[in-house]
Amino acid sequence: MIPNLTQTILILVLGTPLLILIVFLPALIELRKPKDCGPRMILGKMPEFYVQPRVVAIANIEEEIKFDYSLLPRLLKVIEVLPSLEI
Amino acid sequence: MLEVLEALFLILTAVMIIYIIRHYIFTFAVLRRTKSKTTLDSAPSPKLEHSSIVTVLIPARDEEKVIGRLLQRMTELTYPKEKMQVIVINDASSDETGNIAEEYSRRYSFIEVLHRDKIIGGKGKSAAMNSGFQHSRGEIIICFDADYYPQKDILEKLVREFADRQVGAVQGRVVVLNEPENIVTRLVALERIGGYRVDQEARGNLGLIAQFGGTVGGFRRDVLESLGGWDESILAEDTDLTFRVYLAGYKLRYVGDAECYEEAVDNLKAYWTQRYRWALGHMDCCYRHSVNVFLSKNLRTKEKLDGLLLLNVYFMPLIALLAFVVGVFLIFFGSSFIVGVLWFSVPVSFYSFVGNFAPFFEVSIGAHLDGRTRTQWLVPLLIFTFLFNVPICMKAFLNLLASKILRRDHNVWVKTRHLGNGNRYIGN
Repeated sequence: MIPNLTQTILILVLGTPLLILIVFLPALIELRKPKDCGPRMILGKMPEFYVQPRVVAIANIEEEIKFDYSLLPRLLKVIEVLPSLEI
Repeated sequence: MLEVLEALFLILTAVMIIYIIRHYIFTFAVLRRTKSKTTLDSAPSPKLEHSSIVTVLIPARDEEKVIGRLLQRMTELTYPKEKMQVIVINDASSDETGNIAEEYSRRYSFIEVLHRDKIIGGKGKSAAMNSGFQHSRGEIIICFDADYYPQKDILEKLVREFADRQVGAVQGRVVVLNEPENIVTRLVALERIGGYRVDQEARGNLGLIAQFGGTVGGFRRDVLESLGGWDESILAEDTDLTFRVYLAGYKLRYVGDAECYEEAVDNLKAYWTQRYRWALGHMDCCYRHSVNVFLSKNLRTKEKLDGLLLLNVYFMPLIALLAFVVGVFLIFFGSSFIVGVLWFSVPVSFYSFVGNFAPFFEVSIGAHLDGRTRTQWLVPLLIFTFLFNVPICMKAFLNLLASKILRRDHNVWVKTRHLGNGNRYIGN
């Protein structure tokens, strides 16, 4: 049995929002102004590729270069044809 | 009635405390080993033998957005191509997956494509893998899912572990590629950090049950043959194979420096679908293997104990929920002093240790060891993924129960859709 119901309810009503704020404040800060959204760079024997750190909040991001790999076979076919266009 | 509930509450709390202790042991084991590693990281790798022929199996169904990326990567791997065989299993795809794979097959002799039509195909990953395995000639069989992107020297790192004859299987580390995409991918990445950097690493270091994750791993051919390949009747074919390898007397080695990117799910619906499949399959494995693990003469006591805890890990959200509900009832409707004390440990353990792939403190330590202090700030948000996993595990449990009682098939494979949104995070 709870010894003092009023006291318990008061603690819950005042304490719970405070606890939630304390617990989630760092997460909210990181989401609002991310400083490390990854991905983590993994290396092999040598630095084999550079992974762009992407900060979502940067306002001046222009076009993002996306390479659709499903186009690769079609691009290769185009490149194959090109030499035959030479005079 | 009250005494029954108190006894139940005490049992549930005891189970949770066992898991807390287990995961604290894991965390300290990894921290201790990390501290004691001085020159190991800078020491040259042992001479990597390239004598083994390796078959890489890539099951792919409707993966046109990502399959080209992985096949291109296969051509860039440093393992000798004359010792490699890459088999793409085009499993009844309705998009350009087959054509893209065929294009690579035409250009590179070590890449082969196996087409499964809509009649025999589309029956899940296990069936596709078995089909590919039948056409393989490698002494070592390595598996990659189509959305993965490995290190260039990953095959060397995985294959070298098979120099130990006791090793029947290996597992590398998975890193989320599309982590910056949104909050879902960032939280999934955190789960992966805890699960691989700490949980798997610790189980490997302590000689416990390291787990095959279905991808970025592989098997010795003769071991896979003796086990009969992938079990097509189970959704968690990776967990199933893990335990069959151990029960057959072999070990599975976790190779933490063999790393590979994956595209994580980026929305809650996909998260639900994927985790539901994992939960249902894993619980099914628990049903199938618990007794065998307990009675096995090939497992040491600590392996048996860890194996049983691992098999039951997807029941933990349900156990925590039940303990929470029973505890609330007891605190309001009269309880003994000891239950009152233990009640306060429930919310602490509810938050601090339960998590689907690694408890929250494991995630924090894993992020710290990766040098990603700032990303630790997101750890409190994992409580929401944990809460989201409670109904997932509940549904999985009820469906499994119903299927066993009614003897009906529950293994409908719903694949995860990959959109190739990880491409933007790779640059050359």
